[in-house]
Order: sequence, then C-alpha cells, then structure tokens
Amino acid sequence: MQDLLYFFQQLINGLTIGSTYALIAIGYTMVYGIIGMINFAHGEIYMIGAYTALIAITGLTALGVAWLPLILIVALVCAMIVSSSMGWAVERVAYRPVRGRHRLIPLISAIGMSIFLQNYVHLAQGSRNIGFPSLIDGGFNFGSGEGFQMSLSYMQITIFITTLICMTALSLFISRSRTGRACRAVSQDLGMANLLGIDTNRIISATFVIGAALAAVAGLLLGMYYGSVDPLFGFIAGLKAFTAAVLGGIGSIPGAMLGGLILGVAESMTSGYLSGEYKDVISFSLLILILLFKPTGLLGKPEVEKI
Amino acid sequence: MAANNFRHALFCAIITLIISYPIIGFNLEAQGINVMLTGADTGTVVMVLLAAVMVFLFQLFREQIMGALRSVPNPLPQSSKEPMAENRRAKIESWVLTGIVILALFWPFFVSRGSVDLATLVLIYVMLALGLNVVVGLAGLLDLGYVAFYAVGAYTFALLSQYTGISFWLALPIGALLAALFGLVLGFPVLRLRGDYLAIVTLGFGEIIRILLNNWTTLTGGPNGIGGIPDPTLFGMEFGRRVKEEGNTSFHETFGIAYSGEHKVIFLYLIALVLAVFTALVIRRFMRMPVGRAWEALREDEIAARSLGLSRTAVKLSAFTIGAFFAGFAGTVFASKQGFISPESFVFLESAIILAIVVLGGMGSQIGVVLAAIAVTILPELAREFSEYRMLIFGAAMVLMMVWRPQGLMPMRRIHIELKKQE
Amino acid sequence: MRTSVKKLVTAVSTSVALMGAGHAAAEIQIGIAGPMTGPVAQYGDMQFSGARMAIEQINANGGVMGEELVAVEYDDVCDPKQAVTVANSLVNDGVQFVIGHLCSSSTQPASDIYEDEGILMVTPASTSPEITERGYELVFRTIGLDSMQGPVAAQYIAAQSPERVAIVHDKQQYGEGIATAVRDTLKDAGVEIAMFEGITAGDKDFSSLVTKLKQADVDYVYYGGYHPELGLILRQARSADLDARFMGPEGVGNKDINTIAGEAAEGLLVTLPPAFDQKAENQALVKAFEDKGEDPSGPFVLTSYTAVQLIAEGIEAADSSDPFDVAAALRDGTYQTPIGTVEYDKAGDMKSFEFVVYEWHSDGSKTPVN
Repeated sequence: MQDLLYFFQQLINGLTIGSTYALIAIGYTMVYGIIGMINFAHGEIYMIGAYTALIAITGLTALGVAWLPLILIVALVCAMIVSSSMGWAVERVAYRPVRGRHRLIPLISAIGMSIFLQNYVHLAQGSRNIGFPSLIDGGFNFGSGEGFQMSLSYMQITIFITTLICMTALSLFISRSRTGRACRAVSQDLGMANLLGIDTNRIISATFVIGAALAAVAGLLLGMYYGSVDPLFGFIAGLKAFTAAVLGGIGSIPGAMLGGLILGVAESMTSGYLSGEYKDVISFSLLILILLFKPTGLLGKPEVEKI
Repeated sequence: MAANNFRHALFCAIITLIISYPIIGFNLEAQGINVMLTGADTGTVVMVLLAAVMVFLFQLFREQIMGALRSVPNPLPQSSKEPMAENRRAKIESWVLTGIVILALFWPFFVSRGSVDLATLVLIYVMLALGLNVVVGLAGLLDLGYVAFYAVGAYTFALLSQYTGISFWLALPIGALLAALFGLVLGFPVLRLRGDYLAIVTLGFGEIIRILLNNWTTLTGGPNGIGGIPDPTLFGMEFGRRVKEEGNTSFHETFGIAYSGEHKVIFLYLIALVLAVFTALVIRRFMRMPVGRAWEALREDEIAARSLGLSRTAVKLSAFTIGAFFAGFAGTVFASKQGFISPESFVFLESAIILAIVVLGGMGSQIGVVLAAIAVTILPELAREFSEYRMLIFGAAMVLMMVWRPQGLMPMRRIHIELKKQE
Repeated sequence: MRTSVKKLVTAVSTSVALMGAGHAAAEIQIGIAGPMTGPVAQYGDMQFSGARMAIEQINANGGVMGEELVAVEYDDVCDPKQAVTVANSLVNDGVQFVIGHLCSSSTQPASDIYEDEGILMVTPASTSPEITERGYELVFRTIGLDSMQGPVAAQYIAAQSPERVAIVHDKQQYGEGIATAVRDTLKDAGVEIAMFEGITAGDKDFSSLVTKLKQADVDYVYYGGYHPELGLILRQARSADLDARFMGPEGVGNKDINTIAGEAAEGLLVTLPPAFDQKAENQALVKAFEDKGEDPSGPFVLTSYTAVQLIAEGIEAADSSDPFDVAAALRDGTYQTPIGTVEYDKAGDMKSFEFVVYEWHSDGSKTPVN
C-alpha cells in the first residue's frame, strides 16, 4: 500500500510536469509542422512569459489588488500578450528573412535568437533567482494517518485543468476554424496553399503567436508551481519540451501532449526510484533513442524525403 | 497603400513597446525578504520609446530606406567580382599566413605576460573553431555538442597524468585520438539523422558527457575536478621554479639564466601556436583532397552527392571524426595551460561560443575563423563594459549574419565555372 | 546603475594603479580578484567592498611602513579560465599580494600561478579543503573549510538524536564537499543516513525529491549547496506537507532564500561564521561601511577586510614586503582582526574558525540556536 501510494505520488508529480512540457511543446511542434524548422528560441519565450506574469503579479500586489482571480487573469493576459508579441517579432526578425535557405541557416539564426533573448532578460532583470509568490495553496491528502501520505495540491489540479482546456481549445481551433484549416493546408504544402490564395505569411505568424501564447500559460503555471524564475531556466525547459515534441511525433498536437506526459513521468520515476542526478541524462538519452530508432515519434506521420 | 503602410508601421512600433517595456521598464528586485517592482529611470524609458519611434519611422519609410541602401555601391566590391585565379589566391594567402605566423613567433618576447597568456587562449579557440569549421562549415553538420570532444581531450590528459604520470607530449596524440574515437563512436549512429535533429542529438550528447563527468566522482573527481596537471616539458626540461618530477632538469638551470615565470607562459604559447598552425595546415590539406570536396558536395546537395556515388555515412563520419580530433588537441593544451580542470569549463555555452566564432568567421573560411577567434576572445578583455554585453552581441550577431551575410565576413571562395547565359 | 558605479570605481582604481607605476617605491600593490559580473557577482561585491574599505582605512592611518596600499582589481567572473588570465595579468602588473579569488574552482588554478611566481594569496571566501592541501607556502585564507563547517552541522544534528537523516547536495564542489563532511561525521556518530543524493544545480522541479524524502520518513534534511535550489526545495516540501527540519551551510544563509521560500524558510537551520558585524568591537567598522552606503553583514565583507589587514600587519611584522617573509610572519604571529584572533597552521588555514548554528526566520532574521 505504502509503495503503491508512493508510486502514484511520483506519477502525479510526473504528469504535472509533463502537462506543462506539453504546453511548451505545442510551440515546437506547430512551427516544425508548418515550416520545418526548430524554433530554438521558444524556451526563452516561455521564460519571458514567466517573467512578465511575475512582474504583473508583483505590480498588482503593490497596487493593493487582493482578489486572487483578478490577479491571475491579469497576469495571464499580460504574459500572453508579451509572449505572443515576442513570438511574432522573433519570427519577423530572425526567421522570415532566412526562410527557404539552406537548412542550417534558420537553425543558427534561431540559436542566435535564443542566446540574445536569454541575455536580454539577464541584462534587464539581473541573474538572480527571483521568488514567485505561491498564490494557490493547499490540497488534498490521501493515505492513513501514519506513514506515507499522498498529496494532490490545488496547484497541480489547476495545471491539469488548464492544460486540458488549452489543448481542447487548440484542437477545436485547428480542426474547426478557418485559420485552423489554413494552418493544416500550409503544413501539408506551403507552395500549394499559397497558390490557393492563403496568406501563408499570416498563417506562419499566427503559428508563432499561438505557440508563444501557450508557452506564456506554461510560464505562469510553472512559475507558481516551482517558485522562482531566472533568465536561464527557459533553455533547459525548452529542450525538454522539444524532446517531448519529438517523442510524440513532431508536427502532431496530440503527440506533443502524449510526449510531454511520457517525458514528465519518465523524469519523475528516474528521480523517484534512481537518483535526481541522472534525470537529465535519462531525458536526453530518451530523445537520442527515439530519434535513432523512430525519428517520426509515436504519433508522427512518416516523412518522405522529397527530391 | 500609404495608409496600409502606416498601419503596419504603427503595429510594429506597438509590438516593440510591448516586448521591451515590461521587461526593461520594470525591475524585479529583492528588497529584504520581499520582491519589489521598481520602475526604471527616465533615461531607460526614453530609450525604449525612442526605439519604438525608430521602428515606426523605419517601417514607414522602409521602401525608401531600402531603395537608398541598394543604390549605395557595395562596400565589398570583391563579392561581386570574379574570384581570383585559385593558384594566385592561394599563393597570396600562404604568403600572408606565413607572415602572420612569423610575426606570431616573435611577438611574445616583446609583450606582457598577460597578453601572451590571453593569446594562448585565443590559439586554443582557433584550434577549436578550425576543427568545428570542418564539421559545420565544410560538411554542413550542425554540431552543438562539440565541447564534449574538447572535454574528452582535456580529461584524457588530466586522468592519464594523475594515474600514470604521462607527459604532455605523449598525452597530446592520445587525447586527440581518443576524442576522435569518441567522435567516431558517437557519430556512427547519429549521422544518418537530418540536419536539425543532428543538432539536437549532439547537444544532448554534450550535456550527457558533462553530466557523467560531474557524477562519476570516483574517476573524474566529479565537481572537484582534477588538479596538478603537469606543464609541458622541453626535452625533459621543466619550466617551473622547482623540478617536480624525478629525472627532469629545469630550463633555467640548464641554460644558466635566471628563473622567470614568463618562460613557461611563452613556451605554452609557442606550443599552442605550432599546434594551431599544424591544425590549419592539415585541414587545408584535407580541403584540397577528394574527401574535402566530398564534404562540400554533401553540404550543398546531399541527394545529388549520393547519386554520384558518395557514401553519405563515410563522408560525414570523416568530417565528424577529424573535427573531434582537433578538439581533443585543443583540450589537451587547455588542460596543460590551466593545470586544473572541472566540468564547469565544458558547458553548452562554450559550444555556443565556438559556433559563434565559426559563424562570424564565415563558415568554411580559415582566415575568417582565425580573425573571429581573435575578436571574440579579445574584445571582452579589452573593454570590460563590453563583457556583460558579450553574449547579447554574439546572439544578435549570429542572427544578423544569417540574415545578411550567411557566408560570413570572409567567405571561402573557390574557383568555379559558371555557365554562360544563353542570349 | 550599480554596475556603472562599480565600473567607475574599477576604472579609477586601475588608473590610480597605473599612475602609481612610475614611482613604485612608495606603495604596495594589493591585487583584488573576484567576480564583478556573472551569476555570483553579489558575493564578489562583498569581497571588493571589504577589501577596499581596509585599504582606505590603512592608508588613512599612514599606510604600511610608510608606503601606501593601492588596489589593483580584476574581474574573473568565477570562471576558471578567466581566473588564470587574471592571475597572469596580476603577475604582469608586478603585484605581490592578492586578495582572492572567490570561487574555489577559480582559486585553485590561480593559486598554482601565484605560488610559482612568489605571490602571496589570501582567499576570503574559498572553502574547498584542496586549496591548502597541496603544501603551498604562499596560500592563506581567512575563512573556514568545508571540512570544518560540515562537522559543526553534523554534530548539531547528531545532538538532537534524530532517527533518520537525509543528505542532499547540488553536485558542485562546494555543496558536495560539505555534504560529504556531514555524512562522514554523522556516520561516526552512529546516525542512520537514509539518503545521500545529488540534484542538478539550476533545476526547478524538486517534487520527486520531496516525495522521496517523505517516503524515507526523515527527521532532518541537510542540504549542501546554495540558496536558489534550497529555497525551492523548502517551498515544495511545505506544499507537500513534508515534516522534516532542513539545514544548510552559509551558502544558503542569504535573504534571497526568503523571497523564494517565503513562509517555508521559518525554522531553517544554517551554519554560519559568527556574525562579525554584530560584535561590539567591530561597531566602529560597521559604521564606516554604513556611512559609505555599503552593507557589512555579508559573509565575505569582513573576511576580505581581514585579508588586507593581515597582509599589512604581516609586512610590518616581517619588516619586509617580500611575500616569503610575510608568509613566514603570518605563520608565526598571532593577529587581532575583526574576525577574531587569527593564527595560521602550516597549510595556511586558520587554527580555529568558528561556525555557529543559527535558526533562520521567515522575515529574513536569524537567531543563534545554542
């Protein structure tokens, strides 16, 4: 019983982290699906979302606003606006001019952008870890009075529910709306979509904006859940989210969700049953193995090399 | 049209404000136990507003500005000229290089110790960048974990000297070969991946190796690193004040001159110089050989190259291994120069810096890489204010280079025949 | 803003040093090497402000043997590679006494060069035992060792007779060093160690670790490392209802931990050097810092001050500014300093350096426990 509870607790921990990985992974997967490039700077956009949310929360608290839902909504909206604008600007400045060139060129441009954004925040906000207030406290406890108690915090529930809402909304948007249909068309064949009168530049921009907005949601949630932000934490999170995207099959939105959850659980189980030191080794090894043996991921479509 | 333009310009200006004002205009500061929000000073706010206005004006008059720029004659006329005949160019280049090397040979005797030490660091980066240039610039494989091979070289020397007391000269080839072996073993499975996947996988490998070095405490000393790595000797002569190893003599006693710490620094510099020149020469040789041409062919058009019978794996693997070999070289010199190494010298940032050097230098060009290595290493030393902005500028420069001049500052130019246009 | 002031000070002091180079006879150069920029610059600030204050005060009192002290400052960003470059530049400047470096991983390679070149080095902050283990003649420190601090913490924990103890560290030189010392002492005391595990510095998710600690049902958790990670662990432990007492070394005793952990920081145990700025005999000095608008309470401010003072007094005691003579004088003498009475052993470590167990509170204050 004890061991079972322990297992479930680690599972919950993993699923919580995994669902936020999934939110970030959407940005990678959509961009890759449409223009076939890795948006290396996406992790930084997530980090900027977290910073903006913290700035908004601190500002509102200083102004004397105490009603929690208002604080959360304002912080979320601010973070989404700033991150989306950032996503839009990054695409415009660093990716659009190099689109269609040799594969390496957009990739290096993206790495440059990632380094730039990291240091932009570092210079503006300093390199210190800054505490993030925990706005949602408390939770449920399971288990007998003595011995191990499993806990499920309200924060974790919030993360699950928000992720679920975002994913459902996104799926509906992609499958039902006009822009969503255009997105799918562009990811099938960019040139053809263009010929059919779809403003492909607009669609690509929209992809970046949507991905960035979801990353901002993840930024706010994870900021509250973990408890601090620093300019470097976007990079590793971005790498993990990319791993999740590849794991689930890059280009596929349900794949990103699945990949995120699997990765989160794998990490949590590694720390729980082995040692936290090897957490990153496990996730990187997982990435390498997937790429070697099933480069299309779990839910991805096989890609045909075009000549 | 004008109204449309105006709307777009206004939109861009507003976006500029949104992405810069919240982050730059408000500072989160820990005051005591609370996090406070302080507004930035007026100067900063004015700068942000100014930036938005500039974006607005630029976008509004974009057509005119771009037109004006295009009418300005190209500042680098050579890029529109026919390249020089290759043999003539090569001759000039080798004269210039010989001149630089001779200058570099005598230079340390006239300058300060600090500069010589810095120059040694520059030469280590030159070696690394030349090696990575083979992988990224010539073969077109983006390796983001190059620092792993550098670490292999450094740790090979450190561990061998700790456990077997090996000398620098023996460790140099062993370190390089072991790094090459790592390149071969790691490269074999991953090289069939496509470009961007390869980048991520190599990044993962780099991190895995660093984490392993950090966690394998019994062998590598973990985060404590390894100290007491010996300096290179010259035919059994040591450069320290006291002789550390049995059977060696000391340099200053043998020649009957007063002890000076500068001898050691200059000697290390000269070793690094010789090795850097060796690296450059070997890679130049490779570039002329069929394998070098094959790298470039594969970079330019993989499918065409394969259809001509080139083995994709063999060609890529050779580039990867040779790149790793020179990283091992550089690692051994680095370990010897530092005397102490720990995993924190081999983080991803280091890979990014080496990549920045290769990109800025013009992927594929050797002189460009050397100049970029000098610029990237020395600029932060010259201007301390600059050092905080160093990575910001690197990042921006990488983006700008890719947008405007992906071939780099000094692109590699090869003679080629162009088909006459049909009239 | 702060950085530009710092740069100005650096520029002025270096230009003073350069101007002074002409008439070298009337002054003694003191190199100060530490991080002015980079992630640990906040600790570097403490080092520079302490050392500058000492130099100012000594000069105001007529200098050392009639000669003025001049600061030569360098930024090593706590990067081992830059530390070697800085060390070579200091050799180049003809500096014979160095206060520095801050991070052990920078101090270690730099000290090789100083020892070779006959430069006396006093580090006010590096606690790695290895630095003084190599039999160097010219290496001293004004701070305790990881191997001294660990046992103090372990003895305290052992005295509470806990059933089970967990030890966590951040896999870095400092954190793992102390954690190992704590483990060894606890083992000797017969305490059951339920866990000894590393985490990744810079990580943010410790929920699995906290769950593991909960499962292990420990009474005490010792964390070897710095405040950013421990702050998060404390906070995540609190939200998961982990009922254990946490303890850490001086690297976590920083008000920043309160901004991260909030309420969860209440009751954290920290081993710290005694608060030198609280001592009655140091109040004049504390006031001097406060008049300058600087904070003397950081752990490395007064150790840096002491480092400069020891060099000055060593020169006077040896009646020579030759580093080897000064080193001998430091080993022989007994010195009264703001951090207490200093006597050196052969290795260059202080014979006694006291660590005190404090209890940290959620408002950022601390009270001694024993």
